[in-house]
Amino acid sequence: MAATLKLAWVFFKIGLIFFGGGYVLIPLLHRIMVDQLHWLTLKEFLDGLALSQLTPGPLAMLATFTGFRAGGFLGGLIATIFIFLPGTALMLFLASRYEKLRNIELIKAVLDGIIPAVVGLVASAAYTLGKTSLLSPRDFLLLAAGFLILQFTRLSPMLVILGAGTIGFCFRFS
Amino acid sequence: MPPEGFSCYNSAMTKREQVSLGEILRTFFFIGATGFGGGMAIVSLTERVCVHEKRWLGLDEFMHGLAFGQILGPFSLNTSVFIGYYLRGVVGGVAAGVGFIAPSFCLISLLSWLYFKFHEVPQLQSALKGANPVVIALILVAAIGMARKKVKGINDWLLALLSFAAAAFFNISALTILVLGVVWALGRGYYRREHQ
Repeated sequence: MAATLKLAWVFFKIGLIFFGGGYVLIPLLHRIMVDQLHWLTLKEFLDGLALSQLTPGPLAMLATFTGFRAGGFLGGLIATIFIFLPGTALMLFLASRYEKLRNIELIKAVLDGIIPAVVGLVASAAYTLGKTSLLSPRDFLLLAAGFLILQFTRLSPMLVILGAGTIGFCFRFS
Repeated sequence: MPPEGFSCYNSAMTKREQVSLGEILRTFFFIGATGFGGGMAIVSLTERVCVHEKRWLGLDEFMHGLAFGQILGPFSLNTSVFIGYYLRGVVGGVAAGVGFIAPSFCLISLLSWLYFKFHEVPQLQSALKGANPVVIALILVAAIGMARKKVKGINDWLLALLSFAAAAFFNISALTILVLGVVWALGRGYYRREHQ
């Protein structure tokens, strides 16, 4: 029981302090899980990181892996709930104020004013991801095919992604 | 239960049909299950499904949600929670969040169990290698669509290009860029008001 509470508290704290997206979480979890609490060895940490990148969903699912190591299935569940709890609560609060805030002229100007910055951030993600994972003509071929399908057809993007994953799996891309 | 704050402030809201909680849960479950590539890849998927396919909310609202989400940590989850709240209030937000996390949670639990039993990461690398280029294509399509509709005039383009360069080439965090963007937007609004 005490161990479970400690697990919940540790992940709640992490959820509170990690602002600004998943990649902030990697050094943070590394310091806390490997260096301070010794819940994971460095190798386990790196393998867990690979796991959460290989599977769908946010990178923060690394918390599930860490929690699983510390306390089995229940530990994973508790780690997942508590790492996402602070952000989700804040988000619900912000969302509940959104429509009111939006009708204040100044805030509306700011909200609409930062939209181009968000577009730039989205585009930069394509660049960053592309730099590390577009390595061969095969990748560019898949990119082009995916782009054409997504831009000009109404085919569900989930099918396109799963299809590409299946191609990679069956042809043993390395 | 109509979400407080939405029904009375926006007349367009009343015309919107009620989306069932099951539908929200199901939609975000599928987004969570196919959202390879983390953060922005998932958000692009969410945009395509919720804004274009289902027309649950406008691009404006979506991008505001995304901006909020980036300030508060795991932004792919936050954006889902925002959309869920937008549709059905707190219950909708929780449904979207739970649906979104559930598939990765089950998968990671299973894989963690296998890992700690056999100490090996499963051979999923090739699947990811196949999916990655398509995920990039998805982000590109989303960025192009957003730029076409929302980036108008030289000022907007300048801001978009600056944030792109800051994030892509200088590794500046999204949070910093958004805070600077807010300062920029405030400055512009102030300047306009003074010079009218």
